[in-house]
Amino acid sequence: MHRRRFLQLSLAAGLAASLPGCGRGDPLRVGIHPWIGYEPLYLAEEFGWLPDTVQLVKGSAARDSMSGLLSGQLDAAALTLDEALRVCSTGVDLRLVAVTNVSVGADMLLVRPDITAIEQLKGRAVGVELNGVSGVMLLHLLERAGLTTGDISVVDIPVDQHLEAWNNGLIDASVCYQPVAARLEQAGAVSLFDSRELPDTIFDVLAVTHRAEGRQPGPIKDLVAGHFAGYRYLVRNLHDAVYRIATRQGMAPELIRQALATVMLPDLAANQRYLAKNGTIETTAIRLAGLLEREGLMDKHPEHERIASQQFLPRRAE
Amino acid sequence: MSWLSVLAGNPGRAIALLVLLVLAPLPVAAEAGSVTLGVLGYRPDPLVMAKYQPLADYLSRETGRDITIRVLAQEEMDRAVASNRIDFFLTNPAHFLMIRSERSLTGVLATLQRDWNGITTGSIGGVIIARAGRSDIQALEDLRGKSIATPGLHYLGGYQAQALELQTAGLDIRRDNRIIYLGNHDRVVRAVLAGDTDIGFIRTGVLEELLQEDPGLETALKVINAQNLRGYPFRLSTRLYPEWPLVSLPHVDSRTIRQIASALFALEPDDPAAVAAGLASFAPPADYQSVEHLTRSLRLPPYDQVPQVTWLDVLHQYRLWVAVVTVLVLLLLATSIWLGRKKRQLSRESRRLQELVASWPQPMLMIRGRALSDCNRAAVELLECRSAADMLGQPLERFSPEVQPDGQDSARKLAGLLQRVQVGDVAQSEWLFGREDGSHVWVDMTLAPVYENDDDTPSVLCSWYNITRRKQAEERQRLALKVFENAREAIFITDAHGVVIDTNEAYFLITGWDRNTAIGRLPPLPVDEGSSILVAARKHGVWSGEFASRNRDGRRLILSLTLSSVVDEQGEKSHFVGVFSDITRLKETEKKLRTMAHYDALTNLPNRVLFAERLQQAMAQARRQDYRLAVLYIDLDKFKPVNDAFGHDAGDQLLVEVARRLRTVLREEDTLARLGGDEFAAMYQAKNTGRNGYCGFSGTGS
Repeated sequence: MHRRRFLQLSLAAGLAASLPGCGRGDPLRVGIHPWIGYEPLYLAEEFGWLPDTVQLVKGSAARDSMSGLLSGQLDAAALTLDEALRVCSTGVDLRLVAVTNVSVGADMLLVRPDITAIEQLKGRAVGVELNGVSGVMLLHLLERAGLTTGDISVVDIPVDQHLEAWNNGLIDASVCYQPVAARLEQAGAVSLFDSRELPDTIFDVLAVTHRAEGRQPGPIKDLVAGHFAGYRYLVRNLHDAVYRIATRQGMAPELIRQALATVMLPDLAANQRYLAKNGTIETTAIRLAGLLEREGLMDKHPEHERIASQQFLPRRAE
Repeated sequence: MSWLSVLAGNPGRAIALLVLLVLAPLPVAAEAGSVTLGVLGYRPDPLVMAKYQPLADYLSRETGRDITIRVLAQEEMDRAVASNRIDFFLTNPAHFLMIRSERSLTGVLATLQRDWNGITTGSIGGVIIARAGRSDIQALEDLRGKSIATPGLHYLGGYQAQALELQTAGLDIRRDNRIIYLGNHDRVVRAVLAGDTDIGFIRTGVLEELLQEDPGLETALKVINAQNLRGYPFRLSTRLYPEWPLVSLPHVDSRTIRQIASALFALEPDDPAAVAAGLASFAPPADYQSVEHLTRSLRLPPYDQVPQVTWLDVLHQYRLWVAVVTVLVLLLLATSIWLGRKKRQLSRESRRLQELVASWPQPMLMIRGRALSDCNRAAVELLECRSAADMLGQPLERFSPEVQPDGQDSARKLAGLLQRVQVGDVAQSEWLFGREDGSHVWVDMTLAPVYENDDDTPSVLCSWYNITRRKQAEERQRLALKVFENAREAIFITDAHGVVIDTNEAYFLITGWDRNTAIGRLPPLPVDEGSSILVAARKHGVWSGEFASRNRDGRRLILSLTLSSVVDEQGEKSHFVGVFSDITRLKETEKKLRTMAHYDALTNLPNRVLFAERLQQAMAQARRQDYRLAVLYIDLDKFKPVNDAFGHDAGDQLLVEVARRLRTVLREEDTLARLGGDEFAAMYQAKNTGRNGYCGFSGTGS
């Protein structure tokens, strides 16, 4: 459940240049880690819809994919938008070729019952994993309430330690996501804000390196086509897919159903819209990069004339 | 209640229904207030009835209506639905799709949720079972060719789910396997246990229910392609699909539907009705598109019809491709026409060229390798072959004598020529061909390389020029020269003025003038006539005669010359040709012979013939000039004894002495002759002498 932890990987970025490049015959190596939005790709692999040109490299968290990209071990990865931007800022240029999911309630702010408005967070201890997507969530919700990180007491701890910190009274609020959120709610926390109120802000994407884009356009298309094949199965055969996801993630099918409800999986047409020139992804990326840079969470603003690309999307659904 | 309204609305259908009712007088279900719920008999009827009766009781209690359960096989349910004899039905999703395709329904009211050991699921799948002892059946691939028991085609968990998995694994069971349709799941399990079939297809949950009744099945049966999904309570071999739908028929009024639906949704898992049926509850209707997709993938009814694709659909879908292909086809067509025209033009040109070569008066041939590959008419005619086919494929030396006139072997000489051509030279040679009739043809042969089709070794173009006549003329000229040189007669040629321009060897031998000194001088001519014989020769064409001449050393010669004038192309007399021979010796012999004919060899006196001749002449002259002649006949007496006594030599000496003495007494003009033996005659011409003549004579006789 460390899907969005970020490590400072500037060192790894330095290594990237010195690694031998991959040959034309090598498969596209795609970093992936367990997250409900990436399930279509896992399903595609399970049903054999990914050709040999694509190789899924399974990590336990986003940091595995990010370090893989920076070290040159990976050619592509499934990441959140802010994670992709951070990789870009550390020197490996990425192109976003598909949007796997949009958070519609997956990320949330849980607080002690006495806090009834975001403004009341002023001066309170908020647990957050700043270098993950939760950091982005916090910045957005503070911005919404007209606060800054200076107004609150930021407790920067990994999300899997939030429950312990809550029970020990170290934090009064937590920016987190499922399934930590469910456990905190059982411990008495209430939801004050979630990503449903930040529509089209928190994205998960498939990102490929510029190098792979130039050398392996075919496998990238195979990857995106595989994602959409899995996506179609997930939508059409939800009854079966839920059990398969539950089996893989080791969770109850019911929790998977709930988790699926907190993400929106955009179809092909929506992807076309998101990835269009000056579309949602590009405007959000520019805004997000500005925000991260302002808060000192990112070194430099990545310079991209176009970060998203529609050209790898399948022409037609099926 | 509502089927009457159907009768009113659709008379044709009403008649059909009435007929059906007469034939099968079953009680009509939808009596006022009462509701009939049809349930698919997926297991033995009493079992299903026992399971669902508590549900009926619950619904009766909740709605205050009389709810009856009817357990129906698929065909029975189809008929019941067609005749509106049930109000609601609960069946498997595949069967539901079949019914929905045949008549309109109000839609799915709710989806069944099953409960097993406290775990609830709204999903159904298929199970593939085999006897545990069958070690030959382990994976999906092992099902190839095995016999299969199934409840029926329109069972989701009992056929279609398994069929899709096998199709994905590359097995088409409808084609490759023997399938037995048994109507319900219990019979399938029994058939597998009894060994009637290798494989059984059943839906999820059935096996667990049977295990409760007979735990021994656990070891008797095994599940193929087990899925082991977390949170799913049943054994499973396939993907999962939504559970059975509960459907209402259109004739049921909405109030009834509302009542039933609310009662169903209010059913708690711990209600006895639910527990008995093994049902957890009813959930809001699920999305059955996965089942539709499954049935479509398998091409099973109601999706067994392949959609008719019209040309317009294709055109619409592949507009760009059609346009591109059309343009390409048009381009191809245009190119073909253009190419065809070019080809015709080219073949016309080539035919014209071929005609030209074939009818070219000079013989031409192509040699490829060593054999003739092509030749024209003139070549065939020159060698007097029957046709070109006789020549093609043959080597050239086949038409030549074995050895050429220059002494070289024909084949070797030709090989040498071809080798020169092959390195790029043009070779030329005179060549002798032999025809079939034995005659020979001389040609001047030219061989030139021709580079065709980017070959490394060129073909050879061979052209002939017939030089047989020239050769013959040369031969004649050579012969003439030989005659000129080797003739025993001297031959000279002069210009129009008689000045020598050429002579032969004999000329030198006769005259002593060699060629160099003779040229530029006059030839030997008669002394008295001189060059006037040229005029005679010019006038008459020829002059011939004998004359005396001298050679270079001054020796006397008698020459016999024939001088002819030579006429040039304009008819002018341009040259003279003279042929002469030395006849000096001939003349001497002639003189000697004449002497022998008229004189006596012993005494050198004229013989009887000459004496008679002269006597004739003298007599003629004497008559003319009127003088006299005296003829004396002298015979020697007693000559024979001299001969006999002293021999013939002495006789001859006597005769010679007698002749000498007689001669001395006669004058020069008198003739003394020996007539033969010892007889002499003398003739005396008495010109102006009178009688004195005889005096001299008398003195001798002493």
